[in-house]
Amino acid sequence: MPQNEYIELHTKRHGRRLDYEEKKRKKEGRRPHEMAVKAKKLRGIKAKLYNKKRHAEKVQMKKTIKMHEEKKTKQKSADNDSQFGNPSYLLERENQIRAKVLSNTIKQKRKEKAGKWNVPIPKVKGVSEAEVFKVVKTGKTKRKGWKRMVTKVTYVGEGFTRKPVKFERFIRPMGLRFKKANVTHPELKASFFLPIIGVKKNPSSTMYTSLGVITKGTVIEVNISELGLVTHSGKVVWGKYAQVTNNPENDGCINAVLLV
Amino acid sequence: MAHIVKHITVVPSYKDFVDIVLSKTQRKTPTIIHKHYKISRIRDFYMRKVKFAQQSFHDKLSLIITEFPIVANLHPFYGTLMNVLYNTDHYKLALGGINKARQLIDDCAKDYVKLLKYGDSLYRCKCLKRAALGRMVTIMKGQSKNLLYLEEIRQHINRLPTIDPNTRTLLITGFPNVGKSSFINKISRADVEVQPYAFTTKSLYVGHTDYKYLRWQVIDTPGILDHPLEERNSIEMQAVAALVHLRAVVLYILDLSEQCGHTLEEQLSLFRNMKPSFSNRPILIVINKIDIIKPEELPEDKMKVLEEFRAEGEPVLEMSTVTDDGVMAVKTEACERLLAFRVEQKFKTNKVAAVANRLHVAMPKKRDNKERPPCIPEKILKRKNAMEVDKPTRRLEKDIEQEMGDDYILDLRKTWLLANEEEKYDVLPEIWQGKNVADFIDPDILKKLEELEKEEEARENAHYYSESESEDDEETREMRKTARKIREKRLILTKESGEKRRVEKPRMPRPTKRSRSQAQLEGDMMEMGVDVPNDEHSHYTRAKSRSSSRPPIKRARDESVGGTSRSKSRTPRDKSGLRDSTMVSKVKKIAKKAQKPRNHQAKKGEGDRVILNMKPKHLFSGKRGAGKTDRR
Repeated sequence: MPQNEYIELHTKRHGRRLDYEEKKRKKEGRRPHEMAVKAKKLRGIKAKLYNKKRHAEKVQMKKTIKMHEEKKTKQKSADNDSQFGNPSYLLERENQIRAKVLSNTIKQKRKEKAGKWNVPIPKVKGVSEAEVFKVVKTGKTKRKGWKRMVTKVTYVGEGFTRKPVKFERFIRPMGLRFKKANVTHPELKASFFLPIIGVKKNPSSTMYTSLGVITKGTVIEVNISELGLVTHSGKVVWGKYAQVTNNPENDGCINAVLLV
Repeated sequence: MAHIVKHITVVPSYKDFVDIVLSKTQRKTPTIIHKHYKISRIRDFYMRKVKFAQQSFHDKLSLIITEFPIVANLHPFYGTLMNVLYNTDHYKLALGGINKARQLIDDCAKDYVKLLKYGDSLYRCKCLKRAALGRMVTIMKGQSKNLLYLEEIRQHINRLPTIDPNTRTLLITGFPNVGKSSFINKISRADVEVQPYAFTTKSLYVGHTDYKYLRWQVIDTPGILDHPLEERNSIEMQAVAALVHLRAVVLYILDLSEQCGHTLEEQLSLFRNMKPSFSNRPILIVINKIDIIKPEELPEDKMKVLEEFRAEGEPVLEMSTVTDDGVMAVKTEACERLLAFRVEQKFKTNKVAAVANRLHVAMPKKRDNKERPPCIPEKILKRKNAMEVDKPTRRLEKDIEQEMGDDYILDLRKTWLLANEEEKYDVLPEIWQGKNVADFIDPDILKKLEELEKEEEARENAHYYSESESEDDEETREMRKTARKIREKRLILTKESGEKRRVEKPRMPRPTKRSRSQAQLEGDMMEMGVDVPNDEHSHYTRAKSRSSSRPPIKRARDESVGGTSRSKSRTPRDKSGLRDSTMVSKVKKIAKKAQKPRNHQAKKGEGDRVILNMKPKHLFSGKRGAGKTDRR
């Protein structure tokens, strides 16, 4: 009656097959060939996934090999270890720091040129009204087209009630209303699922802002009382702005970066 | 554990799990969609994918949750065992995590299906589907450790022995290395490892044995040491779980020789400490290793300890698993005690009264003192007596073998029945002159030979061989001569024809008139000196023609005799059943008219259902709405 560790017990009593070790070694040796054959045979998505995996493995392997090899290769010792400093004819060589400063200033200037927004996404692609609004035909014979439905994610405030049908020009569907957003604190490098307080600005249009349409680049106000941040004067901050970094209507969630 | 948990399917690792579900989704849902399709169709396409993935995840997770045993529903023995082996808290947390993941996946799918309803383009729907599947995979990723843990448990559960907690059980316990495993190996077929060091057995083992035609379960437990419950390790805890929860007879094994490394006093104190945990059960104290030291030979102080053991009020037995002394006695005693105990327990339950008052064991009383011997027929009695008489029985080979021992050689030849007794031990060659003798053995060979000889004699008597064919008589010589001539002629003919055929122009067909004729044949044969009989019976004359078309034989006319009816041919089908020619023409007209519409459609007849030009699809498909059959 096989019970408990019966396989181990068997090997303990009778040992393994005589060719066990050899077979194991051969199987191991054959593996790369089999993998190569498999890689050749696969087609389509399977091939894509498999090759990606193999690639990652190979890179890892190369890295480890290199790491081991580094012990043998000679490494350049740092230049400034000489006691008396560099000779005068070499003084200009290592002035990387200044170059960095220069490039930084150029970058800064470019940034200023680009826009006043000092936010994660300074440039936002405009969203046309045709994209945001879908015409809803009304009337008994569906001839009238004055009604619009918002096809993007929206935020409607607490206690919002729809207007009577006759006066409701913009419909914001229930399915596309969001109340919470995934907000990342760039310094803490942590994300929180926070409730939205309101839409501060949608850069595409003021109408979107008033409707509460949330698209990529929109600045929203979130409730960060959960985080427990404190101002300089010691007051608890509860509302902060954050900029949306994804297309909520495509991803099914709102990702935003806190503006600090 | 197999009888409690039937079968647990393999729990795949997180990566395999995700691969299985995603590839299943890919395989089992439609794959082709285009952006010019109707938007509702595109939405359905992607919704189906999301829902399918969710259902697959849900099913697989549910399978895990249902298949793993719930600790609360198990027998307390198994409950404790699982707690010892796997830590029930951890186990419950893992299953709870799986349950939560299932719920989260369901919610996620619900959310995304809701969003997909507002998808307005293929791209957006696709993005949403991608996000949905990604979310589900992320949820599963959180469960990767739980999945690994559950898989480990599954593998361990499969290897647990099948212990039935309610059956008749012998439970062996004692210090490590006192001979518990040797005892179970002796009385059952369980193949437990026995080694001369402590804690060889690290888990419970089960064996089965037979007593009184009943099945007895024997459980070998790991050794237990004498310390408080809190300090016991998980190996000892398994033994304790079995001791506490199984209703069995407990065999406490003692090592009298103290080779296990524990003195008799320690063994006594362990017994006293453990006794409360197996109260209400029959207990046997078994002294093992009596081949090393017998209880009588013990020194004075040890003797005292043993006396204390005896004073515990439990029966003390002796055995030696090395020499097999008393092993069976221990088993029998244990089984008897348990059986009695179980019966007693059953009597205590309130169920027994209902059964007992229906039971009646009849004990017949003697009617009178008359002798009523069994009636045995005379013939049978005779035979029986004959059997009992001590006839000199044949010595069997077995007896001889036992008598001679190792010198015995099986001799089958001495029973051979041969015509000549002396030939019995002659050497028989197997191969004789390169041939297998056995191939040529024929049991009837002598009989056949005799028959052949008889036949030969008969022939001899009939002068069969004396009448030899005369070679030189006139007739044969003539015949041979002619034959030679024929042969020569044929040779010449073949050579001639060969010469003729060498002409290298297209060969014309044979002329209608054949160049062979009867006269020519006869001439040729005459030339060669063969006398050709020219009469009717010679086979080469013109045969009677086989064709039947010959002019009829002329017959003389005579007066016909009336009265005999002549046979008539059947009326043609188009005229059968019609009165006269007018009716025939009328019917024909009708038939032609009936054929007309079919001819218009270029059909052969009513069986021709070929549709040459299909009508537009809308006229053939769909349910019939309002309107008529031919006008929709």
